[in-house]
Order: sequence, then C-alpha cells, then structure tokens
Amino acid sequence: MQNKLISMQEAVATYTWDGMTYCHGAAFPVGSDSVAFGKEMVKQGKKDLNVICHCGSSQVNLLAAVGAIRRCEVGFSGLEVYGFANGLNRAVTSGQTVIEDYSNGAMAFRLFGGAMNWPFVPATVNINNDQQWCSGDEPDTYPASNKIPVIADPFTGKTLGAFSSLRPEVAAIHVTMADVAGNAIMLGSEWSRFEMSRAADKVVLVADKIVDTACMRQYPNLVRIIAEVVEAVVYWPYCSWPQASCGLYDSDEEHVFYMNQAMKTAEDTEDYCQKWVHSYQNRDEYLDLIGADKLAQISATETAFLMDPYRQWIKTDAEVRELEARRKG
Amino acid sequence: MEYTKQEFMAIVTGREISDGELIILGVGLSMLAGYFARRNHAPNLRAFTEGGVYGSTPVGGLPWGIECNRISANATSFTNAIDALGFLVASGRCDNAVIGAAQVDKYGNVNTTGIWEEPPWKLGKYPPPKVRLNGSGGANDIAVGAKKYLIMASHESRRFTQKVDYISSPGYLDGGDARQKAGFVGGGPAAIISTLGILRPDPESKEFYLDAYYPFTTVQEVKEATGWELKVSPEVGVVPEPSEEELANLRAVDTTGSLRKKN
Repeated sequence: MQNKLISMQEAVATYTWDGMTYCHGAAFPVGSDSVAFGKEMVKQGKKDLNVICHCGSSQVNLLAAVGAIRRCEVGFSGLEVYGFANGLNRAVTSGQTVIEDYSNGAMAFRLFGGAMNWPFVPATVNINNDQQWCSGDEPDTYPASNKIPVIADPFTGKTLGAFSSLRPEVAAIHVTMADVAGNAIMLGSEWSRFEMSRAADKVVLVADKIVDTACMRQYPNLVRIIAEVVEAVVYWPYCSWPQASCGLYDSDEEHVFYMNQAMKTAEDTEDYCQKWVHSYQNRDEYLDLIGADKLAQISATETAFLMDPYRQWIKTDAEVRELEARRKG
Repeated sequence: MEYTKQEFMAIVTGREISDGELIILGVGLSMLAGYFARRNHAPNLRAFTEGGVYGSTPVGGLPWGIECNRISANATSFTNAIDALGFLVASGRCDNAVIGAAQVDKYGNVNTTGIWEEPPWKLGKYPPPKVRLNGSGGANDIAVGAKKYLIMASHESRRFTQKVDYISSPGYLDGGDARQKAGFVGGGPAAIISTLGILRPDPESKEFYLDAYYPFTTVQEVKEATGWELKVSPEVGVVPEPSEEELANLRAVDTTGSLRKKN
C-alpha cells in the first residue's frame, strides 16, 4: 500500500499555484474544513485563485482578506451565527473578488456533474430568479444568459436551466481520519466531499488523525473517500481550528469572532497573519500557538464518543513521524 | 408574562409546524422554532439540516451552524448535501421549512445576497453590492422545492420592501401565476412570520397581507413598518400570547437564552 504522507508545506508547494482553480471541502460553514491548508497557502503567498466551495468558512474569509482570491463560486459565504464573513465581504464589495452565487444544493449537484464528467447538470433550482440572472462573470448584462442557460427538457419540452459541471484542479479535503494511502472516514455531515473527491483532478487529504488501514477494513462502508483518487495525505491535528471537527473538537468561539473581526481591515488582517499564520513552521508550533488550555477546552466535545470505535487504530504523533520519514527516505 | 419579540416570533413560527412533517431547519431562529415545535406539539416531527444531519436534538444551546457539534452529538444519520437538499428538498419531498430573510417583498421573494445602491434589476447590470450578505445557502433549494415554507424576518420597512434588491430565494416572483409558470415543484411560502405579526399570501394575487398581529403592536404600526401598501385582512386578529407551557418548551430548547438577549 502506497504511503502518501507528505508535509503541509510540501503539499501546498506541490498542489497549489497562482491562478489555479482551488476547491476545499468540509462540513460547512463553521464545521470541519481544511483551514490549515488555506493558512499554508497564505504563508506561501498563493494568489489569483479561482475558488470553488460549498460554503466559504474561515478559510475563504482569510484567503479573500489577504487578497488571494480573484473569483469565487459559492453557495453560502457567511459564518452563520458568527456573522458575515468580513474578509470575503470586503473583497467582494471592493470589487477585488468576483463572486458567483449558487445555492448550496447547486454546488453539490455541479460537483456531481464534474464527477460524472457530464457536460452540464439539469437545473430545477436556482432558475427563474437572480441566482440565474446575476452573474459576476457577466456584470454588464442583466439578466445574464450564460451562467445557467435556459434549456428545454427533451422529453416534455418544459423549460429548465443548465448548470455547468465543476472540475476543480485540486481539492484540499478535510477528513477526520485517513490511512497513509488516502482512504478516509469523515464524521459528521459529508456536505459535498464525496462528489468533490471524484470531481477534482487531484485530491489532497488533510486529516486530523492518521489511522491504520485495519480501521478501514473494519468499516469499509464508511470509507467514502478512497485511496484510488487521492494524491497525498497531510497529517495536521486541529486542522479545522478555529472551526469544529465532529468527534474531535468544538469550534473555538472566541477565536472565530476575533479572527473575523480582524478580517475587516487590511491592517488588522496583516496583524492577524503575523500572529496566527506566519508564526508557526510545523505542527508542534501550530499546537503551541493555539495553546494547551485551549486545545483541552475545545477537545471536551459532546461528540467525542463518536471516535470510540476508531481509537484502537489511531497512530500516535511519533508513529506518524516515523511513517513520514519512511516515505521521504 | 415576560418574553422577547424574538421568542414570540419563534413560538408563532413553531405553531405553523405540524406533527409528522418532514422539515428542513436552518441555523438560528429556524432551528429553535423547529425544535420548540417538536417539544411542544409535534413529537413526530422529522427534522434535518442541509448537510444531512438526521434525528438530532441540539445540546448545549443554539448551534453555531447547521453542522455544529451541538447538533451532531446525537444524530441517527449523517449524509450529505445531495441527499438533504437534492433527494429530499429539490425533489419536492420535504413538507415544510423555515428560512430567514434580510429583505422580503410583497410576493414573498427573499434576499440574503446583497444590498445595492441601485439594484441589478433596475440598473440592468450586476455591479458589486454595497453590502455583501451571505448568499442563498440552501434556502433557494428550499424555496423552489419544499411543499411549503415559512419566512422569518425582523419587521422593518427597509427589510419589508416593495421589491427586493436580489431574489436569492423565490417566493411568488411577480405574483399571480408567475410561480406556477416558473415550474417550481414546491408550493411557495405559506407565511411570513415577523417580529410584529403574521402575513399570508392572497390565494389569487399572492400578495402578502396582514393576517394577525402581536398583542404589543397595532395594525398602524405594522403598516408603517412595511415598505409596501400592506393590505389587512377584514378578519385581522391578534395572535394569542405565548402560553406558559410554550415559553417553557422554547426555553428548554434555547438553553443559552439567545432569544432572550434581543428585544
């Protein structure tokens, strides 16, 4: 079985580039997400991104706040009870980021279309309203005609829309646990990660836990992302922080508010990045930065029992280090 | 009896939810209204969220999001958006839903996307908004697909507008048979539950009129807080105050008192 473990730095350096179509996956909007992957993209100065996401989460909020997003297709860009995403909203209202709105359902259907390699997906939602008529790509035309073109049902003649299918160049998908080959189990809602993993040209997993493949053999029905479509696996505990990861940690409420507040201005964003993005170089420093007390606090989650069936297969940090070294060597 | 406007609105919304319904709930007031209804009078309510979280009862207070651990701690199934928003909602299977609105117009069209100096439909262009909101999320899928749904909104004239800046989630579009012509599988909004009263659509014109108002307001006040010439039902009534039992059941769901902080 191929060992695909690579470092976060290597993963971002290898699988992301300026101008790319980047997709990230999660149990949105304030649940699990590959937030730490997005932070590494900020560290490495990736820019001019075309982002595809179901919901924005703190990741898109940060990437937009630093000016890294040229265009974003999204179903929901806010942070729910935490409020509007200040960084993204600043980028959108200033015209820096072009936003193309769809519904959450539509984003999943379009990824499904990409996974099937269909040219388009019939649209029965998002049509006959501004989701169809307003296009960030056609700002001078209202109603827009190219975003969700009108088509006829060939059987009944009824009017429908056509969603373009989504084929992201790379998807960075957060999973609760993965083995070194890229088989993964997600706890909590999958949102669109299943179809996303089949739609993207390349898939990088970012896992809170690395488990032995025996875990996958015990629960093969739960392995919805498969090694066969995965290029690389990154081990990054508390990857979704300050958001939650079902079974492992709750959201860091104080930090989500604090971070979103900072995203309001370019100056505060820069300050935030100095303190919380550029200030760590590896996993240990990342965890030190969050702090032991905070880690203990957010780890005391009501969902912890969901991990019970899997604990016997979880690799320790030392074991993962050895596996990483073995792959490199 | 003491209660906040937000609590009243959640209870009134809950009263529009019937036992046995298959219902999709969004975060915030929507979820509180739904779980209040289940606790109060609809024990067999089949509630789920957009990401496919089934069979849950929130723990530890209002969930921060629809997939928050507070609603994932006792689920019977986790699926995904294609299942929840596609198979159960866009398909037309879902009985009821509750969505929020930053702006709502007289035909029940909802805007949660943005506010413009001059709205795109007037301008004939689509420039960046003056204020970016959140986008539709799953509400567009719900508005198109659910058999019926409820809209919750704070009753202010800037929010209750003649025509919304942007239709994120379609109600009855231009009224009359416009929605029917659009071919949507679902029936459209059954009511707008506001902080001042209950508005319902006229069966023919589909224009929302005042059906009942809360005991602490007046017809005049509701009209003044509405950005269109609000019609009033000849049988307009006063919405019954929350009972002690209703309030107790709501507060048992809203354990952190998120609805008691605002008035």
